[in-house]
Amino acid sequence: MSTQVHASVDESTVRQLSEELGEPEWLLETRLDALDALEDLDFPDVIQTPGRLWTDLADLDYDSLVDPLGAAEEKDQVGPDGVEVLSFTEAVDEHEALIRERFGSVIDPQTNYLTALSTALFSTGTVVYVPERVDAEDVKVRTTMNSRSLFNYTLVVAEESSSVRLLERQETGEDVDGDRYYSGLVEVAAGENAYVQYGSLQNLDQTTYNYQLKEGVADTYGQVDFIDCNAGSRLSKSSVETHLRGDGSETKIVGAFYGHEDQHFDIDARVWHRNENTTADLVTRGVIDDESRSVYEGVQDVGRDAWNTSSYQRENTLMLSDESEADASPKLIINNHDTEASHSATVGQVDESDMFYMGSRAIPERTAKNMLVEGFYVPVLEEIAVDELRDDFERLVRDRLDSRD
Amino acid sequence: MSSDQDHLKETETEARFEFKKEESSAFEAEKGLTEETIRVISEDKDEPEWMLERRLRALKQFRQMPMPDDWPGAPDLSEVDVDEIVPYIRPDIETRGGAENWEDLPDEIQDTFDKLGIPEAEKNALSGVGAQYESEIVYQNMQEQWEEKGVIFCDMDQAVQEHEEILKEHFMTKNVPASDNKFAALHGAIWSGGSFVYVPENVTVQMPVQAYFRMNSDGMGQFEHTLIVAEENSEVHYIEGCSAPKYSEFNLHSGGVEVFVGEGAHVQYSTVQNWSKNTYNLNTKRAIVEKDGTMEWVSGSMGSKATMLYPSSVLKGPGATDNHITIAFAGENQNIDTGAKVYHNAPNTKSTIESKSISKDGGRTNYRGLVHIADGAENSSTSVECDALMFDNESTSDTMPYMEIQESKVDVAHEATVGKIGDEDVFYLQSRGLDDDDAKQMIVAGFIEPITEELPIEYAVELNRLIELEMEGSLG
Repeated sequence: MSTQVHASVDESTVRQLSEELGEPEWLLETRLDALDALEDLDFPDVIQTPGRLWTDLADLDYDSLVDPLGAAEEKDQVGPDGVEVLSFTEAVDEHEALIRERFGSVIDPQTNYLTALSTALFSTGTVVYVPERVDAEDVKVRTTMNSRSLFNYTLVVAEESSSVRLLERQETGEDVDGDRYYSGLVEVAAGENAYVQYGSLQNLDQTTYNYQLKEGVADTYGQVDFIDCNAGSRLSKSSVETHLRGDGSETKIVGAFYGHEDQHFDIDARVWHRNENTTADLVTRGVIDDESRSVYEGVQDVGRDAWNTSSYQRENTLMLSDESEADASPKLIINNHDTEASHSATVGQVDESDMFYMGSRAIPERTAKNMLVEGFYVPVLEEIAVDELRDDFERLVRDRLDSRD
Repeated sequence: MSSDQDHLKETETEARFEFKKEESSAFEAEKGLTEETIRVISEDKDEPEWMLERRLRALKQFRQMPMPDDWPGAPDLSEVDVDEIVPYIRPDIETRGGAENWEDLPDEIQDTFDKLGIPEAEKNALSGVGAQYESEIVYQNMQEQWEEKGVIFCDMDQAVQEHEEILKEHFMTKNVPASDNKFAALHGAIWSGGSFVYVPENVTVQMPVQAYFRMNSDGMGQFEHTLIVAEENSEVHYIEGCSAPKYSEFNLHSGGVEVFVGEGAHVQYSTVQNWSKNTYNLNTKRAIVEKDGTMEWVSGSMGSKATMLYPSSVLKGPGATDNHITIAFAGENQNIDTGAKVYHNAPNTKSTIESKSISKDGGRTNYRGLVHIADGAENSSTSVECDALMFDNESTSDTMPYMEIQESKVDVAHEATVGKIGDEDVFYLQSRGLDDDDAKQMIVAGFIEPITEELPIEYAVELNRLIELEMEGSLG
């Protein structure tokens, strides 16, 4: 493994960062361990077939993208009474034991090169803590990135029989010279019988390279749902994974993306069935236009002990232009025969008979096509619990459709 | 079943595959792979210089290429040590290029194929038969009517001598070059035996031609090459069968198949593979399909310790069609990694892939498939369907499809399901008086029916018998 960032990042950078944030020793150690591990770690897995690498993450010039000490942002962190929505620094001050226990418990900081880089260099973040039996609606975390690079960390802990529905969104504010890099790690832990819906809306500008890994763990009867909406960035690698560790736990991973111009989206949805009676439903819908490119990998992994598993996966890509390209790989890995699993994937255009029908109703072609594209997202939009996420994603889609030539 | 097929009932399928013959040969190469070995093989076959050069070039490529062991979930190939393999055994026969009468063969070879039921099948259902024993074709015959129409069906060594121009152009050049993968390179270096089929324009070969491959010796490698050239508007169905008795050492089978489907031509290539469970079966099979041509791959993979097989079709001409039907059955200690690969490189091309897999007693099946639709392949469509049936909790079933779509005017659909054998189905059949074993066998037979109905009745019966054998006594 080459060491792309050593010119701008070394031990003293990490120490300075940690000291400025007033962090405890154990956190500094975790950061330094991640920094040390960089040399031995690989980039996140990307699919390669004969003659085609689906996404090239190693090709980015991290050295010029990463500016750890210059991080600048604006952040709103809001939530209803009864639930704690804290900045990461506040959370470490007020709940050090909790953070120490949970930090890195869902995502191993040394999963890959980019998670280790993020762990070593993150300077901002949010902790959402939902105590037992508390139900929280409309938690919102809004981040506007104003610097060349930003490393963000999010932790959501839902205790027994609690529930929370939240939205985390990323945008870019002030312009910078050259390209940018955003990196976000999200850990979600749903306790016994707890419910978490984590929705995200990524609309970074098209000079930004974006890496996000969101992982959830569901305890007994717990449920973790992800809604991952991607509209912005130049290139995104966004992986969403749920570990169904508890008996009877569930997950829904819902994805939506809309690529245009020369955007590249690499979206992963993965579920690990690791206990009995677990259920997963993976639904991703994406539109690609102009020269944009989409890559989708879905994995349903059923472990040896996952008796009575139900697991479903659907992925649909709509191509609006002839220059766009779509790659898809929905995978099933089944080690327990007491499983009902299926997946399907399609790629195609707006349906001609639908267009014909709309025409017969005297709807102009352009309007008809836009309506059908908006309708294409409905199965995804229906799952969203936070109005702001649904409304804003719908608006983004409409704006993009209106701006088509 | 008509009286014609009575012999199928009478032969004991298991005994037919499991017998061994004394190893006797006229020429046996040293173990391992060196330039010297290859020169010796080439000389023993009296090959022209260009073929020797291709072999040596392939050897060089083999040495440089990595093992295909870094794929997710790939079979363990660590035991495959080419230096432990006997790459070439020429059985002790008089006629090079294969005898035309079974009676001309030495008794033990004749007896082998009798037991496998090949001469019987030839009488009943085939236009021509080739039989390979160890590294060489020992029997080759075709009905005269096809010969008169210009159809060629001969063993590859003979083809190198007698049809040099066709081979020079088509042999491991634009279809499966040695550089394709490590085992294609190995194959290119030490290939021996196999069949050459040439069907002239507008000729339809009505009954299938068949080749049967038998490995008898311990620790040997079989590397036969099959080349099929079907000219414009011709039609042919080629069937290959494979078996070997089980030895303690591993055997390696690494075949190469190249099919050229001309304009409007139709080729079906069917395989019923029943290698012994110590055989590594690592093949490269590919068809290039011209305008309005159709290629059909029908594969039943029952045997072997590990199989890696992904028949591919390159749909080169507009309107070309590909159909894949594959079935994989993995029992104890078997890892059957099969799939399909289709490149849509022209407009109006169509492919359908239907894959069925069954895993039991700790066996592992994996569907690994790639569909690529190139920019400009307008109005192409592909549909992939994978169904897996699992018998128990020790088994594994993976499905790993890859789709690469560079053209928007397409219709792409992939679907897969995995499930256990349905308790309700079994219960229903039991209520009709079937016992548990019979019920499950019947469900499996129904599950694989789309495959068996593509095969001539002899082979369909054979396939069902093999599956019954695999399942016997192991159901609980």
